[in-house]
Amino acid sequence: MIPIVRVTNLTKSFSRGSEKIQVLDNLVLEVPKGQFLALMGPSGSGKTTLLNLIAGLDSPTSGSIVVGDQEIGAMSESQLARWRTRHVGFIFQFYHLLPVLTAYENVELPLLLLPLSASERKRQVLTALDLVGLSDRMSHRPGQLSGGQQQRVGIARAMVTDPDLIVADEPTGDLDSKSAEEILNLLVELKRSLEKTIIMVTHDPKAALYAERVLHLEKGRLVQEVFNPPSPRLAGSIA
Amino acid sequence: MFWEQLDGSLLPLVRTPGATLQVTIYEFLIAFVVLGGLAIIPQSLFYLGFILRNLWRNKIRTALTGFATIVLVLVVTLVWTVLVFLANVTSEKANNLKAIVTERWQIPSQMPYSYAARLTEGAPREPGDVRIDPANDAMTWAFFGGTLDPQNRTRENSLFFFVMEPDRFLTMMDGIDEMSPTDVERIRAAIAVMEKDVTQVMVGHDKLVAMGKKVGESMKISGLNYQGIDMECTICCELPEGRYGQAAVMPRERLNRALDEYERKNRKAHPLAAKCLNLVWLRVPDTKAFQQVERQITTSAEFKSPAVKIETASSGVAGFLDAYKDMLWGLQWILVPFILATMSLIIAMAISISVRERRKEIAVLKVLGFRPGQILILVLGEALMVGGICGIIGSAGTIAYFNLYLGGFKFPIAFFPAFLIPNEALWWGPAIGLGTALIGSLTPSLSACNIRVSEVFSRIS
Repeated sequence: MIPIVRVTNLTKSFSRGSEKIQVLDNLVLEVPKGQFLALMGPSGSGKTTLLNLIAGLDSPTSGSIVVGDQEIGAMSESQLARWRTRHVGFIFQFYHLLPVLTAYENVELPLLLLPLSASERKRQVLTALDLVGLSDRMSHRPGQLSGGQQQRVGIARAMVTDPDLIVADEPTGDLDSKSAEEILNLLVELKRSLEKTIIMVTHDPKAALYAERVLHLEKGRLVQEVFNPPSPRLAGSIA
Repeated sequence: MFWEQLDGSLLPLVRTPGATLQVTIYEFLIAFVVLGGLAIIPQSLFYLGFILRNLWRNKIRTALTGFATIVLVLVVTLVWTVLVFLANVTSEKANNLKAIVTERWQIPSQMPYSYAARLTEGAPREPGDVRIDPANDAMTWAFFGGTLDPQNRTRENSLFFFVMEPDRFLTMMDGIDEMSPTDVERIRAAIAVMEKDVTQVMVGHDKLVAMGKKVGESMKISGLNYQGIDMECTICCELPEGRYGQAAVMPRERLNRALDEYERKNRKAHPLAAKCLNLVWLRVPDTKAFQQVERQITTSAEFKSPAVKIETASSGVAGFLDAYKDMLWGLQWILVPFILATMSLIIAMAISISVRERRKEIAVLKVLGFRPGQILILVLGEALMVGGICGIIGSAGTIAYFNLYLGGFKFPIAFFPAFLIPNEALWWGPAIGLGTALIGSLTPSLSACNIRVSEVFSRIS
């Protein structure tokens, strides 16, 4: 399969005073297009750092990251911002919806950065909200929605630009088990029906079961790789 | 006393409510066009809405910042009103300038009336000398203070006359072009009456109200500076509110006759009879003509006892304002910068707190693809919105309150009793608000642009 993400000899280190902390150590990784990948590992293992680097939110100390056909390690901040708008969708643990905007406006946010007409924007927002089953909540503010509903809005926001890659940082970490299951089923369905590549960081082994492939990190290195068999649970419909 | 009596001619330009309204309408039309222009760009509507909602989110902080801006704009507007007015009255004109002839060595100036005929011509002696047209370009002034009740003199029953040639009121006095055509026609008719009957006088609206008098009524004025001279006068015209609202105008001939009568009755001249010309106004076409007239008058042997001097009106005022030089310097270079710095600081604090509170949201915007410039617009926009809108409110409110309600900013400096806020202040407010908002919010806005997304989210997780 064609890899959509290709990470080669990736190293990331931080300096804290005179101390140098190596978060990722010479990491090599390929993620094929359309794969649902889970990154697991203890706190400080470097999984969120890896996610941020793949998503272009941080720059590597050394090594190369190619997403699609773009070497993102060499891009400027503005170039990365433009690239993220078109190619990456983000799902956060704490949703991070803007409280002053409605669900519709939150989903519309990334589209404002693209050269689209108002009617095109509207069509895409409605499609995204429909996909996550929140068409009837589009005029609600985040404070008027449950945690699960907010995360669905977050997913709609991540999907609305039709990105190649969706990165999710503990998307179920703030949800009860029922809502978490719904969200994970939604992600699986998005991957299946829209052939999206999803990279998800999680601490939860149950959540990781929804992914096709699970990578375990420890001290900045990949220590284990597991391929999950298709699970009958994943056949559940999207809420 | 001499200078104190000049207040009528040197009051600031009267700003009529109509003119103020006109400028306000222009300002809002321009704002409307700018906003309309922005509205056709799809993203600008989003920015505008987003900025407004963020401001609305913390109403108390926005209200306090806005209130502080309004108060400080008010103070700066008042200070600048005084400074700009004084700068205007002391700046030299190149053409059609007015000159004042006064006694050289004494304040108040008291010249003999015999000087009037030659001074109003510019004292030409030789062919080629500049000759001023005394009927159109010269005016004599004497000041007659009087009261209706010498036993119980009050501010209300006292009044101050410009003793002058009545027909010069419309040709030589300042501010006539700001009167309504109806008022000018009324005054023109009254001048014709005064030229036929020298007992007729014009009195300002405010003074008539204070005295409880009306047009057509007669009154007996007892002289205060011209002790022993009482005059029966009939009010033939009311001068409009504003610059001449407290003043009164009496024909020169009336004072001359009163002095003659005093001499007949008392068999001796009045002590001020030979000192009853306080100043002469001349209008000259340009500075070259002024210099020539100055040479003609100062070198003339006719004006040696007492000696006279001639200066432009602006330099006369400037000379008098020397006494206030330090205070004006302090207002301009200490108070105003201090206020502007305070405004910037207040806005900087408010925006800094707001940015700190919204680091996560700003980071999310960056994650979604908002570039640093777009983040800058959003954060700067909040400060500029508060600064601009509160600047307009501050300046428009200052004009409305001081000009329309209080009748001017009562700041007793020199011989100016009150200062009317100029219409230009409608631009000062937004300019001050926007300028200080820009300076104050620049650092927090740049820090918002430089927020590192990975740091923000690593802290959260």
